[in-house]
Amino acid sequence: MKKEEHRERIPDELQKFAEGDGSASVAVSKLTGIPAADVFGVETFYDLLGKRDTKVHVCTGLSCQLQGADELLEKCRQVGLDATPYSCLAACDCAPAILKDRRTLVEVSEKDIERTKGDWQALDSKEVPSSQLWSGQIYPTTSSPETCAIDLAGAPDWMGTSSNLALELGPEGVIAAIDESGLQGRGGAGFPAGFKWKSVRGQAETKRYVVLNADEAEPGTFKDREVMMKRPDLVLEGLAIAARVVEATEIYMYLRGEFEIPQQVMTEAIELAHSNGLYSDLHFHVHSGQGAYICGEETALLESLEGRRGMPREKPPFPTEVGLWGKPTLIQNVETIACVPAILQRGGEWFRALGRTEAGSKLYCLSGHVARPGVYELPLGATLEELVEAAGGYIGKLKAFSPGGASSGFLPASERNRPLDFKSLAEIGSMLGSAGVVVMNESVDMAKAVQSQLLFFERESCGQCAPCRIGTAHQRHSLDSFMDERDEAAKSRCLKQVDDVAWEMREGSICGLGQTASLPLESARKYFPKEFQ
Amino acid sequence: MIAKTGEVTVDGVKVEFGQGETLLDVSNRLGRHVPTLCHDERLAPAGACRTCLVEVEGVRRMVPACRTPASDGQKVTTANERIDKHRRLLLGLYLTDHPAGRSDCEDGAPCELHAMAANYEAPTDWTPIPLTRAGRSEDVNPYIQFREDRCIACARCTRYCDEVEGVNAITLAGRGAATTISTVDSEGLFDTTCELCGGCVAVCPTGAMAEKMPLTAGAPPERELQKVRTTCNYCGVGCQMDLNVDTQASDGKGQVVKITSPPPGTPPSDGNLCVKGRFAYDFVDHPDRLKVPLIRREDGELHEASWEEALEFAAKGLLRVQQDHGKDALAFVSSSRCTAEENYLVQKMARVAFGTNNVHQCAAT
Repeated sequence: MKKEEHRERIPDELQKFAEGDGSASVAVSKLTGIPAADVFGVETFYDLLGKRDTKVHVCTGLSCQLQGADELLEKCRQVGLDATPYSCLAACDCAPAILKDRRTLVEVSEKDIERTKGDWQALDSKEVPSSQLWSGQIYPTTSSPETCAIDLAGAPDWMGTSSNLALELGPEGVIAAIDESGLQGRGGAGFPAGFKWKSVRGQAETKRYVVLNADEAEPGTFKDREVMMKRPDLVLEGLAIAARVVEATEIYMYLRGEFEIPQQVMTEAIELAHSNGLYSDLHFHVHSGQGAYICGEETALLESLEGRRGMPREKPPFPTEVGLWGKPTLIQNVETIACVPAILQRGGEWFRALGRTEAGSKLYCLSGHVARPGVYELPLGATLEELVEAAGGYIGKLKAFSPGGASSGFLPASERNRPLDFKSLAEIGSMLGSAGVVVMNESVDMAKAVQSQLLFFERESCGQCAPCRIGTAHQRHSLDSFMDERDEAAKSRCLKQVDDVAWEMREGSICGLGQTASLPLESARKYFPKEFQ
Repeated sequence: MIAKTGEVTVDGVKVEFGQGETLLDVSNRLGRHVPTLCHDERLAPAGACRTCLVEVEGVRRMVPACRTPASDGQKVTTANERIDKHRRLLLGLYLTDHPAGRSDCEDGAPCELHAMAANYEAPTDWTPIPLTRAGRSEDVNPYIQFREDRCIACARCTRYCDEVEGVNAITLAGRGAATTISTVDSEGLFDTTCELCGGCVAVCPTGAMAEKMPLTAGAPPERELQKVRTTCNYCGVGCQMDLNVDTQASDGKGQVVKITSPPPGTPPSDGNLCVKGRFAYDFVDHPDRLKVPLIRREDGELHEASWEEALEFAAKGLLRVQQDHGKDALAFVSSSRCTAEENYLVQKMARVAFGTNNVHQCAAT
């Protein structure tokens, strides 16, 4: 057995051994030849591994908090149901959500908790998600392929139309179309997709990989879930086109572990495509994450795929040069890759023109205080006002919103007409990120909203670098003491160091988590100073 | 000398660099002090502690000098307002997660973090965060104690255990602020692959990995001990080690209360020691230790003797056996504690002085 040959099996094997007697780490060490301490390091990194005595995890993402997550936790306590807070479950449109073992239950009510009488196995919600059910609302409900690149309401295409077209165009032709389309990565960074494809294709090393980032865990974000649930055909086709362009035959799909149902859907889709004679030259590996937000960061994702603790790597080198197992790797987000088939069918120019301020149509995840939460495919650069109008209006009076997940911080109501695109939001120190838009009305206490985000980052920091490991804890504790302090004079002192700590986290952290983790606090203090005095 | 592969400018000074050199190597060679906490030249760079961040012209973010390869034409800055601010604030942040008082913290080994924080005038009045790192207080091994409150999760110890010793007894465990150093299932070191070499204690920058014996014996802190470089006498490798002597102990006669490693790079063993060299030093002052030769006289008891007397006594005995039973009735076995030179002399004595080829060395089997 080569030393590291079986390392990638570690997370899956640990999952299998978790419920058994004896040490899972020792058992998996024997199986894989990886030292037991090393395996234990992996086991303790992930929320879904190890002996999980508590089976009920209440999502405390911002949207779930707005819909009563704290009350659910309190109710669990009352009925004697052992429950812990959990990071965002990507079910913000059907909040509040609960993770029951590895299955996500949505729209859970206090009555549902009461009914369990303390037995976690009895927990059920009226919207029990079966493979058909766990998907939310999409808008426009009758989207058109003319105006929506992804077209969530459209019928799946199992003919491989676009991938056949890609073969005719040839790799250079495909890259030209992607370049022309102006497609930017939709996972958060907005990096030009064509540039990545070219970079991987141009590497001297001929063994290459394609990786799908479906570790959707940014609070407020649930679009990739919908894409996989409703248009798995586009995801596979986009991946196939990309793999052929960069001359890879192995495709790794990394889905967050809580996406049990989307994973079933994708697995069935692969079987269907293969049985239709599609992509027979390609191997799709569906990989389940084990509960760690940081693995959505692309280099942490690679570490995790390789069977290690999901700690981000230093960049450069970028994964396009040194990626999975050290080989050039193209990593794309679900939404990004799902845009590819339409671009090839209708042309890069068409896609570019779909956007308003930047290229393409965009999936916006809308949740919080709006009438119809859900995924909205609108021109990139749509404003909050347009989004909310499409969503049937605000519930209550708009106070603040978070435009792109926890990492984007908060914006005041006065920014409601700003185009929600990568550049316009960066200009004011925010970001489009994953376009997880959370709307908050006047009933929201900003300090409480910030606390939810800070807790999230503290819980999800990987712990590798000090600015983030200590900084996220420091910021949360500072805010806690500010909120608990009753004495006015002492109150102001509680937040004395947070600006310095925020500066250091931004400058010193290895990856984006630590670099942006103070943004909720900084932006809320900037736009709502009175609430932090 | 490493072959030149290019030239970088460090703080305005042009300097050549060789294959594989990092910005830290080049800066150090130039005498520019770039602080590090997670770095050890025996280990692959981790870039985790963030103290060594420097600026490279044209690169927006500061980069870790320890793991950034030097490349031709780079313009590097190792100190300016931004870098100083970064170091100050970073170290201030570290202190919020570390025992406050330096003298308390340094009850054993000196604390590199405290020294660095003082050097860069880091803020010391920031509110501490609650300790969430798990310890392993029930570990009964007699030598190594993990003190979680002092740990800065730099992973020097775990990487040393993995990359240098190949033992893999300890690992980073947990996540976020709770990230700690653990063993498989948090077992005591006796129940792991640990060989108790104590390398983790040697590489720890803060005294989180500490030696138990001097702490339980109430020995003075390391900074008050006198270091005496010597050669380990447990085997023939000749590892260098530093005796740490409490000069006041034993009524001023002095006592060895600890062994520490010389710096990495010290020949022949690069600062590495084994369990014997590092921890088995209490024989030095043990009452049973033999300090003069003993001869068993006709009364059946052992009596102190001079070296001349003892050697003569032994030689006579050996010659008598030779006379009575022939040359090959004798055999010589030397100890693995002997050096190569001493082993050479033993075989020469066997062959030339006693005329037998019956000679062996106990570590040779």
